[in-house]
Amino acid sequence: MACNCENNDKETLELTISKVDAIIERIGTQRSTIIPLLQALQEEFSYLPADAINRVYEKTEIDRAQLISVSTFYSQFRHIPYGKHLIKVCAGTACHVKGANNVYDSFRRELKIEDKSVTTEDQNFSIEKVACLGCCTLAPVVQIDDKIYGHVLPGKVNEVIDDFLEQENQEEKEEAKKSKTRVPGEIRLGMGSCCQASGSTDIYKQLQQTSDELGIDVTIKSVGCVGVCNKVPLIDVVDENSVITRYPNVKPEEIKEILHHHFKPGSFFKRVKNKLFNEIDTYHTDQTWDNVIWKPENERTGVINTFLSEQKHIATEGYGYLAPLNLDEYIGFGGFEALKKSLSEYEPNQVVQTILESGLRGRGGGGFPTGKKWELVAASDQTDKYIICNGDEGDPGAFMDRMILESYPFRVIEGMIIAGYATGANKGVFYIRAEYPLAVKRIRTALLLCKERNLLGENINGSSFSFDIEIFEGAGAFVCGEETALIGSIEGERGFPKQRPPYPAVAGLNGKPTLVNNVESLSQISFIINKGQQKYQNIGTQNSKGTKVFALAGKIRNGGLIEVPMGITLNQIIEDIGGGVEGGQKLKAVQIGGPSGGCIPASLCDVKVDFDAFNQMGAMMGSGGLVVLSDNDCMVDMARYFLSFTCEESCGKCTFCRVGIRRMLDILDRLCTGKAVMEDIDKLEELANNVKKSSLCGLGKTAPNPVLTTLKYFRHEYEEHVNGLCKTGTCKDLITYTVTNDCIGCTKCAKACPVDAIPYTPYELHTIDTDLCVKCGLCIDECSYDAIKKVPLKDSVLTE
Amino acid sequence: MKIILNDKEITVQDGETILQVAKQNGYTIPSLCYADNAKHKSSCMVCAVKNQQNGQIIPSCSTVVTEGMQIDTESDDVKNIRTLSLELLLSDHRADCEAPCSIVCPHGLDVEQMLFYYDEEDYPSAYAQIDKAFKLPDIACDNCKAPCEKACRRSTVDTAVAIREIIHEVVNHNNTKETTVSIDNKGINKKLFQSKLGKFSNEEKERLQKTVHTKSRCLHCACSGKADCKLREYSTEAGIKRSRYGVSSSLPVMQKEHVKGDLWFEQSKCIRCGLCVYNSTNGFTFKDRGFGMEVVIPEENKANATEKLADLCPTGALYLKHKKG
Repeated sequence: MACNCENNDKETLELTISKVDAIIERIGTQRSTIIPLLQALQEEFSYLPADAINRVYEKTEIDRAQLISVSTFYSQFRHIPYGKHLIKVCAGTACHVKGANNVYDSFRRELKIEDKSVTTEDQNFSIEKVACLGCCTLAPVVQIDDKIYGHVLPGKVNEVIDDFLEQENQEEKEEAKKSKTRVPGEIRLGMGSCCQASGSTDIYKQLQQTSDELGIDVTIKSVGCVGVCNKVPLIDVVDENSVITRYPNVKPEEIKEILHHHFKPGSFFKRVKNKLFNEIDTYHTDQTWDNVIWKPENERTGVINTFLSEQKHIATEGYGYLAPLNLDEYIGFGGFEALKKSLSEYEPNQVVQTILESGLRGRGGGGFPTGKKWELVAASDQTDKYIICNGDEGDPGAFMDRMILESYPFRVIEGMIIAGYATGANKGVFYIRAEYPLAVKRIRTALLLCKERNLLGENINGSSFSFDIEIFEGAGAFVCGEETALIGSIEGERGFPKQRPPYPAVAGLNGKPTLVNNVESLSQISFIINKGQQKYQNIGTQNSKGTKVFALAGKIRNGGLIEVPMGITLNQIIEDIGGGVEGGQKLKAVQIGGPSGGCIPASLCDVKVDFDAFNQMGAMMGSGGLVVLSDNDCMVDMARYFLSFTCEESCGKCTFCRVGIRRMLDILDRLCTGKAVMEDIDKLEELANNVKKSSLCGLGKTAPNPVLTTLKYFRHEYEEHVNGLCKTGTCKDLITYTVTNDCIGCTKCAKACPVDAIPYTPYELHTIDTDLCVKCGLCIDECSYDAIKKVPLKDSVLTE
Repeated sequence: MKIILNDKEITVQDGETILQVAKQNGYTIPSLCYADNAKHKSSCMVCAVKNQQNGQIIPSCSTVVTEGMQIDTESDDVKNIRTLSLELLLSDHRADCEAPCSIVCPHGLDVEQMLFYYDEEDYPSAYAQIDKAFKLPDIACDNCKAPCEKACRRSTVDTAVAIREIIHEVVNHNNTKETTVSIDNKGINKKLFQSKLGKFSNEEKERLQKTVHTKSRCLHCACSGKADCKLREYSTEAGIKRSRYGVSSSLPVMQKEHVKGDLWFEQSKCIRCGLCVYNSTNGFTFKDRGFGMEVVIPEENKANATEKLADLCPTGALYLKHKKG
């Protein structure tokens, strides 16, 4: 039979072209639509195939120069085909300190991905590191397609892969029939991204299945984040008397028990049947003796109560009971009152004045007074103005904005509409990272719901004010958190920051006055309007008012999303809310503000949360990632980690940032591999100071902070590294593994070793072939006798 | 409008940049990423000046004067920043200003230049070069130990260019023994800053061996844009001998790409100022970001480039092949 490849090729090409044409039809042909267009193409083809791109040149205003420029700038876009499934290994700060690199290496080994490739030979999996998945409390985190796995250990990656493949094969079960009689009360279950990663989806399914099975038709409500991320899945059961019982870390097998305990099924027959089976179950299985509902109240929720007691909820008001997308409920709890009040009682300038007097400062990092920005935009007499909500939370180690967008979409929208009214803008743009699909989805739905109620659109709530909001998905560039770069990307350009002045408030998006506010700033607005500026002012310190949301993660016992009043000390956050350092280790430092911030040493952790106090210490509030570091963390490695992030994320335009950061990183690389000399430390410091001084945008100006603060507070560690010593054993090139005499020859380590560096010698003292050893730490995790140690390479040379 | 420039009050026009104002008042500020009457975005920071009111370092090429501004363009602080930015650019600049053979020639022959003419089969010009350097071109190098051949970079790839043989060939080719063209031979000015390429990696050696097929086998290390290279000029002025941060680059070394007509592009000499990007339509473009950001020109866009871009380029990255200095 003759080959008809050519015909096939032709058909595929025609199909590709028709798909591309449909996408162009939907999205548009202007240069400014390039990012949404490429996103849609990638969604369709899973990468950007050359044929599709050529069609774009033919049919749109986008030319080759623009396409190359933009598509290679944003990390989201792929130019080569990937495997069927994509494994994203989170390399955020919290994941980094918990061994994300080892997890990444393990996946590569397990899947036998070749050195220069990112895809398995069978094209089934591709792998990449991503800046941050925003699930820091579950570190290390891995996402395979849409499924997120938390607490992934390097030795367990095969289980993760198996679980994923199994899930994939499972068919979705038919939805069971609903019974007719609904029981009073409800069950609330947090369904944020992190909750889902910890198995909330399974619990949700189990709840539905079990309630059907038992005939208990109770309302199962997914609510926003409670913030106690390490206690999830967390369910709150509200019984018919409105008494709330809280169950942390629920397992699917416990659901039946819980339902039985609180609810009675609608039909008499089922009640009798359930009671009977329940009794038998209770007395005949061991597991029920340790069941969650038998635990006393205090044991179950004590930790959560202390976790919550020091907090103050403004941006996260309604945590744990507000269903994110239930507009009626939001309104029922006073939502959109602030908007109505503004529209009916205040002139726009009065709103601006209120925000100005409240003392609210921008929560995105810099701490610029929000009211001042509003005033500037309001002052312009141009007719077209924009409000942009900056949700491009790119800092590794931060997930506040994601949680707020996912859990309290209406509050942010309300803040945005009020900002529009106050400044005279009629258009709003939600700029959200594409890495936050759930946030995008919820905001999209929330916007539709608001439009239906005339809370958005023409003549809002019967007033003369009209305002509309659209969503723009960021394409993966940390620098786009900088407002001028963000605007550039909406306009279809590379995310190059522009020189200010002119400020966006004067000439921003499309050259029009533009207000760019952070998600968290906007979520404080309704409180200020409702309760008055005075009440807001009473919270916080002299120059930092209100509350701040932090993502508490790293080596902390109870990590999570917290909202605290300004003025609380870091120690209070770590000890009282977070329950101290995990595993009984000693607190070494707190990394605050991500790549723009710095490390505050334990001795200074009595500092109050305050914009200016942090700045004085060389750190920065940043957007609010708080990563707790213990004695086991190497500060030089920490600095290197952040610099390698900023080196990659620098837009590349200016010398000091593009080359300067690279040269700082060169020195840090030398330090971490034992190749540095003392002089390098001074060189590093000089360079860091100059990069800070001479960079043109926020990214470059703050990128040296992690280096400068660690040099300031932990200089001795740099000096130790010059001498070849990394006390924490983090810098792999400076250490080696040895087996001590505590070894009993149990062979666990030999079995665990992924590279067969430990020979299988039962009942003998094990040995490690250091030439083969990749220092992944699996053997240390596996050993029950603590018999494998990391020792400085230098010492071992000396003792030999 | 009045501003204070280096402690002197001066009157300025609205809309003028600090760079323009400084020039009018007799201060020279170096600048790489800026060119008169061309689109640009501040990036190189070689034109850094200090705003004395808030201590900020700002690029003078794009900062417009405002009433009451106090600017310092001359202090050591400012000059250190400029020097450092040059050093950083040089640390990412794996290229030779002059060819090693030309530098070491005891007779001051610009060997590489002569080889250039030889490769172009322009024997009269090649002869003229030799004639300038030697009193008796016939026996020019006979008693010389040929440090040029020892210094030849090609020798690190495979074997050195047979420079002396080629000189003989050129001399013999020129039967009349008379120079027919006049050559403006400035010789090598050793007082100028010398950028050095360093060693080739094994991969680079392999690539060069496979791709360089000039008649003489010469790699032509010398920079074709050195005559009007601002990077070199300012580095010389700043007294830089070499970058304190070593030299390492992600750009492909010595990869010369033909763009159009006489216009060539050597990426490793690019400082990513973007002048060629901003001033061509669908021609040059940026690729990637961070330290790995490159300026590239896709094959299909080459027709859209113009030779004028070579004048805009502050270094020898974009050059006209036959405009040798």
